[in-house]
Amino acid sequence: MTKYLLLAMGILCLVMPAVAQQQEPATKEELAEIKGMVDGINESAAEYRVYVDALRKIKISGYMQPQFRYTDLVNTSFLVGTFSGGTFPANTKNLFQVRRGRIKVNYDNNLTQFVIQIDAIQTGFTTKDAYLSIVEPWTKSVGLQMGIFNRPFGYEIEYSSSNRESPERSRFTQTLFPGERELGAKLFYAPQMGPLTMFRADVGLFNGSGPTANEYDNFKEVIGHLVYQLPFEQANAELDMGVSGYFGAVRNNTKFLYKAGDLPSGAKGFIADSTASNLNDGVGRTYVGFDAQFYYDVPSVGGAILRGEYVFGKQPGTSSTSVSASAQPATPIYQREFAGWYVYYIQNIGSKEQIVVKYDVFDPNTKISSSQFMNTNASGASGLAATDIKYSTIGFGLIHHWDDNVKFVLYYELVKNEKLTNITDTSSPLFPYAGDVNDSVLTFRMQCRF
Amino acid sequence: MRSIMMKNAVLIVASAIALTSVLRGEEKITVKGSDTMVILAQRWAEKYMSAHPDVVIQVTGGGSGTGISALINGTTDICNASRPIKPSERDKLKTRYGSLGVEIKSARDGLSVYVNEQSPVKELSLQQLKDIYTSKTTNWKDVGGPDEKIILYGRENNSGTYVYFKDNVLLGDDYSSSMQSMPGTAAVVNAVAKDKWGIGYGGAAYGKGIREVKVKKDEGSPAYAPTLENIKSGNYPISRFLYLYVKNRPTGALKQYIDWILNDEGQKIVSEVGYFPIR
Repeated sequence: MTKYLLLAMGILCLVMPAVAQQQEPATKEELAEIKGMVDGINESAAEYRVYVDALRKIKISGYMQPQFRYTDLVNTSFLVGTFSGGTFPANTKNLFQVRRGRIKVNYDNNLTQFVIQIDAIQTGFTTKDAYLSIVEPWTKSVGLQMGIFNRPFGYEIEYSSSNRESPERSRFTQTLFPGERELGAKLFYAPQMGPLTMFRADVGLFNGSGPTANEYDNFKEVIGHLVYQLPFEQANAELDMGVSGYFGAVRNNTKFLYKAGDLPSGAKGFIADSTASNLNDGVGRTYVGFDAQFYYDVPSVGGAILRGEYVFGKQPGTSSTSVSASAQPATPIYQREFAGWYVYYIQNIGSKEQIVVKYDVFDPNTKISSSQFMNTNASGASGLAATDIKYSTIGFGLIHHWDDNVKFVLYYELVKNEKLTNITDTSSPLFPYAGDVNDSVLTFRMQCRF
Repeated sequence: MRSIMMKNAVLIVASAIALTSVLRGEEKITVKGSDTMVILAQRWAEKYMSAHPDVVIQVTGGGSGTGISALINGTTDICNASRPIKPSERDKLKTRYGSLGVEIKSARDGLSVYVNEQSPVKELSLQQLKDIYTSKTTNWKDVGGPDEKIILYGRENNSGTYVYFKDNVLLGDDYSSSMQSMPGTAAVVNAVAKDKWGIGYGGAAYGKGIREVKVKKDEGSPAYAPTLENIKSGNYPISRFLYLYVKNRPTGALKQYIDWILNDEGQKIVSEVGYFPIR
């Protein structure tokens, strides 16, 4: 029995290698075929990678802000809500609107960027950004940007509307910088590495006519902003401080230039300077601003932000408006000395809820106080107008971040104007401002961002 | 009849488990980020969950950049990162949450440089590494090897390892366009192991199947291997911290988990995985 067993094992030992040898060529062929397929797939992948790498440079982002607004006052004789998301149409106290509908395309080639952003809302399309930006390849800290982009002044202008906690920017920002953007070029310094990462500087030359209008005079505006960041890492806090300057001019189309002063009657008003050389002269548009933001992580609650900005200077306008002009003013220039400031407090509750409180003041004519508006003043060549009235706005808001794309904002703005108590003539266009006009606005907004 | 009873039984048991979880109040912690740290993070999570069954920890990779983006977007509690957070990323965190984020050093790592086991090259200086990865040096013969073209392997640009190597070895210069980008350190190791003339870099814990070269600061300095002693002493030129980032000061279950990572038990796992304890 043992002999037969051993014989069988011996025969098996002889036969099995032969069988294996017969299998080897087939296995080798299959392996070679599979290797060829894998090499082919690798070659295709390498080819597709070139396309994928090119496509990765194109980034598309955007956000939309549909909202509902309500105001107590029915718009009959003057504008309501202009600085709270847009003027309410006549006889309208509440409305739905798409406040912003932005699509932004950014081609990011690391040191070169090409950006186009448009706004699509119920009234049509507008261009928001259209610029090129290049950064030098040595330190990667200094760059040049040209086209339509945010004016480098202060903090609130460049702070994206998709991030901002209040629905609208402050009154002085909307007055001095309508549209936020400007046509021009700037140099920027923004180091990402090294000992100077706490500094950032921007300085540029701009048309001064706003983002969607052509230049209308030969005066260019110099705008600059310098920022310093001071972290307190042990306390998980940081203080960022900035200083800004705006130096430009608006051409006077007439020989008349008006500035606030004492009228012959003794009342306050605008005094005309009718020197012939005023015609075609540049009327100074100069602003100086200071901004600061303090960040502090409140233990067990969430991060808190205290943010403020103060701006003062001289603003060339017209008899009826202080808003920066996007076209050559045909009428005489009224140059007003102004001051404006705001303070925000934002408290994060966990990672999804935010409480916002904002106080915003704008005095478009610091030379005139409320008691100096008299019945004898009328809007006109030497008179004060509604545009000279000081406003303060206090806003309260609740924000809920639904997820990383969607947030809901409920915000109430209590808008207060200085009371012109000496206006008693009911026929005066300023009579409604003898008391506080009830033009507060409630906004409910839904935002989706991608 | 019996099958119906079985189905009902299964439903009742499943419902009971779900209800128990709800009643028990399970804490969930999400961890995203560095591929260099993903094995370490998974080991931490497994060990911690075995001792704390009321805590569920979900770990994914994707790269340090992906993790930091998730932290900013609010889709992760902890971000693992093999590089420090950039100023621009910190600004986004600050803007959204009013917080600078909290940086926690959880381990040390020596960034290894790998060559194939058959490569005769034993050591390289930082300048040589820079020249190789920027394609100023393209042949092994220029660095003491044979007359063969150098094949470059590296990481993708969302990787903290990619950023760290670029900042600290290439000193901010761009990588060569011929470098093949791999999705993780394991993929780099795998590629170099199969390519006789390949070179790659990555976390020390992944250095299996290939050989790590010694690195020297310059031609006049001695070369050092990425060992614990050399990293702690600062002799090994390419060492870094492995970070955890959270949005705010941690509290509750999150704080307990992070404290555990930093204590002896968590740091023991660091050594077991192949990195180096923080203390």
